[in-house]
Amino acid sequence: MRRFALIPVYAALVFFAALTLVPLVWMATSALKDQQDFFTSFFLPRGDGFLGIAWDRITLVNFTRLFRDFPIGRALFNSFFFATVTSSGATLACAMGGYALAKYRFKARRTLAILVLGALIIPAPLLIAPSYQLLWQLGFLNSYSGLILPAIAPAFGVFLFRQSMLNSVPAELLESARIDGAGEFRIFFLIVIPLVRPMIGAFLLITFLGAWNNFIGPQIILQQPEVFPLSVTINNLRGIYSTDYGLIMSGTLISVAPVMCLFLLLQKEFISGLTSGAVKG
Amino acid sequence: MKSAPPNPRWAPWVFIAPFLVLFATFTLWPLVQSLLLAFSQTFGPKRSAFVGFDNFAFLLRDPLFWQALRNTLVYTAGSVFIQLPIALMLALLLNRPGLRGRAMFRLIFFAPSLVGLVFVAMVFALLFQSRTGLVNAGLHSLFSGWDPEFAWLDQHVMGSLIVASVWLYAGFNMIYFLAALQNVSRELLEAAELDGAGPWSRFRHIVLPEIQPVAGFVVLLSVIGSFQAFELPYVLLNNSAGPDNRGLTIVMYLYQTGFLTGDLGYASAIGWILGLILAGAALLQIRSTRREET
Amino acid sequence: MSRARPYDFLSLGAWMILGGALVSSAVFLIWRVPPATGREFWVFSPPNVEAYAAASASWNAAHPAPQDQMRVHLIQYQALERRLMAAFTADAPVADLVETESQAMARTFSAPLSDVGFVDLTDRLRSEGLFETINRPSFSLWTSRGRTFGLPHDVHPCLLGYRADIVEAAGIDVSQIETWDDFRRVLGPLIKDLDGDGRPDRYLLNFWENNFDMIEALMLQAGAQFFDEAGEPHLATELNARTLASLVSWISGPDRFCADAREFTAGGDRMRIEGTVLASILPDWLAGTWKNYIPALGGKIKLIKLPAWTPGGRRTTVAGGTCMGITKAAPDFERAWAMAKRLYLSPDVAEAHFRRTCIISPVKTFWQLPVYHESDPFFSGQKIGELYTSEAPNVPLRFSSPFFGLVRERMMAILVTLKAGAVASQHFDVESQLPTARKLLAEAQADIAERVARNVLYHEQP
Repeated sequence: MRRFALIPVYAALVFFAALTLVPLVWMATSALKDQQDFFTSFFLPRGDGFLGIAWDRITLVNFTRLFRDFPIGRALFNSFFFATVTSSGATLACAMGGYALAKYRFKARRTLAILVLGALIIPAPLLIAPSYQLLWQLGFLNSYSGLILPAIAPAFGVFLFRQSMLNSVPAELLESARIDGAGEFRIFFLIVIPLVRPMIGAFLLITFLGAWNNFIGPQIILQQPEVFPLSVTINNLRGIYSTDYGLIMSGTLISVAPVMCLFLLLQKEFISGLTSGAVKG
Repeated sequence: MKSAPPNPRWAPWVFIAPFLVLFATFTLWPLVQSLLLAFSQTFGPKRSAFVGFDNFAFLLRDPLFWQALRNTLVYTAGSVFIQLPIALMLALLLNRPGLRGRAMFRLIFFAPSLVGLVFVAMVFALLFQSRTGLVNAGLHSLFSGWDPEFAWLDQHVMGSLIVASVWLYAGFNMIYFLAALQNVSRELLEAAELDGAGPWSRFRHIVLPEIQPVAGFVVLLSVIGSFQAFELPYVLLNNSAGPDNRGLTIVMYLYQTGFLTGDLGYASAIGWILGLILAGAALLQIRSTRREET
Repeated sequence: MSRARPYDFLSLGAWMILGGALVSSAVFLIWRVPPATGREFWVFSPPNVEAYAAASASWNAAHPAPQDQMRVHLIQYQALERRLMAAFTADAPVADLVETESQAMARTFSAPLSDVGFVDLTDRLRSEGLFETINRPSFSLWTSRGRTFGLPHDVHPCLLGYRADIVEAAGIDVSQIETWDDFRRVLGPLIKDLDGDGRPDRYLLNFWENNFDMIEALMLQAGAQFFDEAGEPHLATELNARTLASLVSWISGPDRFCADAREFTAGGDRMRIEGTVLASILPDWLAGTWKNYIPALGGKIKLIKLPAWTPGGRRTTVAGGTCMGITKAAPDFERAWAMAKRLYLSPDVAEAHFRRTCIISPVKTFWQLPVYHESDPFFSGQKIGELYTSEAPNVPLRFSSPFFGLVRERMMAILVTLKAGAVASQHFDVESQLPTARKLLAEAQADIAERVARNVLYHEQP
């Protein structure tokens, strides 16, 4: 009985999954075709091979061109550097900040908590213009410092970590550790961090994704092609070789693959982390 | 029993210091600066001239700003009334007990959040082409009455944007709703079903009250996010505001004036108006949750 | 406390990110980009890079000193535009020589005259007689408040390119076409519903209300002058109202003869190949793009002078434009100027450029070069260099303004509104559109004039 009741649910899920997947499959297959086949077949090139697909016309030429003729290797590295450093730094700073606001009693605590809450509604674009001026004054234009440092202190992160520490770090545990003579940093890194492990995973993933796919920021701040991350390089390719779809699709595929793997690794924590932070807030 | 030694006075300050220093430098200080900038006209950071309230006065009668505001409102409405319900529906489907392959479906729906905007722009620009794009070609071959020249990205820019944003963001918001649905008691639902409550009434009386706080939070995030929409329309319309500025959003206008004409002052004035709008939205949200609690 | 294992603290993915951050930071410090030597030259068009390859190689052979080497960099146009602004407003690194298009140049003109990041070339151009050697209209785009900041790269006159195979098969003689009305009348019978679905699948001209390049080109052809030499807008003229009102019936109603076959899109190219549109307004650079990227059109295209708005009127117009600017950051102006002249004022480069891109040089004496008088099989054996150079002196003037981008968008918006009104009322004739057109142009004029007036830095006197 139950099993049959689920049939419409499966039907709906498969329908939406197909809608979601069509563009993605299209990208993956386009990267494997040359220009001619791009226009004549929607997915894999049609031919006489197995399943009516011309397997012999599948080609990796787009990838070899990408790595041979364009600084994709360097861009991939730049993106990796930018995303890992930003997400690690932001996670550490926000976890520490959230911990201070959740688990210590001190005078400015209430004021700071209100400040963090208020900062949630400051629209980031409002800060674009004066930040640009500030980065110019600090000499941070055209350098990754100008991108990474401002991204390390999102109020949103402190807010999430504060919620999650309030929910999942019992005060008694900290008390007894202090009685055992543990230092403050020891307590934070050895006791608190493992307790908010899911939130750490979730926040790392969110900030990593944000940095990896960020393209306006690098576009405004970085000025030399050698330091461009993948997102900017690919958008520029798209501008110059606007109709070379295979090339652009293979570039996109290269930029999607790493985050796809990362999501698979972190997906469990991601969901439980969001549950512990945002949801009970 | 020993009592715990009091934690040192410096401890909280050391923990919050990295955040506080960076936050003060890169958020609070620019915030103050933006207020000063909003009263001047500039050519980049180097040249500026004080103009008093002229930026705000002109903003109020600037047709481009009003157009941007209108477009942004349409996009926000699309997010709240189309994208979020779809996200909620996906979450409800995935939350059915006894469902197999839940993790796989979850991954599929979340996948668009991973691919980045440049890709989204490429694909949707091609899908929406008149005559040759898959959407028009498909609809025209299914229904011969469909106009193969239906100009998605020209005449119906905001509609196209909303379609793209549903594809891109529904899976992400679905995760929030899934998390919220964990709070809904299965036993209660089953009891209600035995009592003969239909799916709608179960949703209305059991599920909705439980997920209300999260839903409110997600709506607020969506409104804030949609009001700041920039990158999706910008790349989808090939680094422009689209024909007749039909895809111009508030933040895109801010970006254009600040970085392409160099007037950081006018850009800051636009930013402040946007900030006021968002503060208003947040206050409304807080008010409405308070009222429900009391 | 029992021995803690690493995964108690963080998951595998989190450890990977943290480890990656450490390793990549170390690598980032070591993997330095070697500082560029030589004089950088930014170009946004791929075929131009190829056209300059031989000349820059011969320059580099003749000037072996590392600081004199010419380094040509291809940069995506929007990126170039943004980097130029970043350089001029905030001292970001910039090339010595920059090839730029009108829009990016116009943006740099919103600065006080003394803060424009390009070197003012006016006196140099005058003392070397270049205002006389080079086709005069080509300078107007690079001139702001009376000073010229760019060396012109082109003229970009427009002709009409049409599908000779289809038109001739129908036995139509295009020599009877002198005006746009003739064009519509003579070729009109070719508009056809080929697949029987009740909608035509063949139109006469590639034009649409969102194509503001062509709206601008057609308005200029009719005689519009959007800005005067002092930078003041003149939008609300009877001529502009009439031109826009006429364009409505081109794209809507029973007499519609235009369709939207966008350039640089797969869909648009397919419509051109399949003959869904028969003719296009074709500036020289676009002729080159077709030749290079749509080989399927080879031997099927012919060019004629553009139909005029009125009998005896202008048989060409202008679309696009590029110049070379020398930035104030360039350490050695004379060296940069010599490079600019080597690329823009040498017959060998002009020849290579025309062969690669069909773009004709603005240098009038070069128009005698044999390369412009060769017949081209892609264009059915026509001597297209001759056709383009003969119309080059007749192209309309365009004075630059930082507000020009806004004007283009307003013109498009007006056409969109007029079309919507015509469709709603089912009146597609010129006279019915005129009152609305006048009103909208007056609003646009007021808005743009106010924007010009309130920009204090633009009006700052040096």
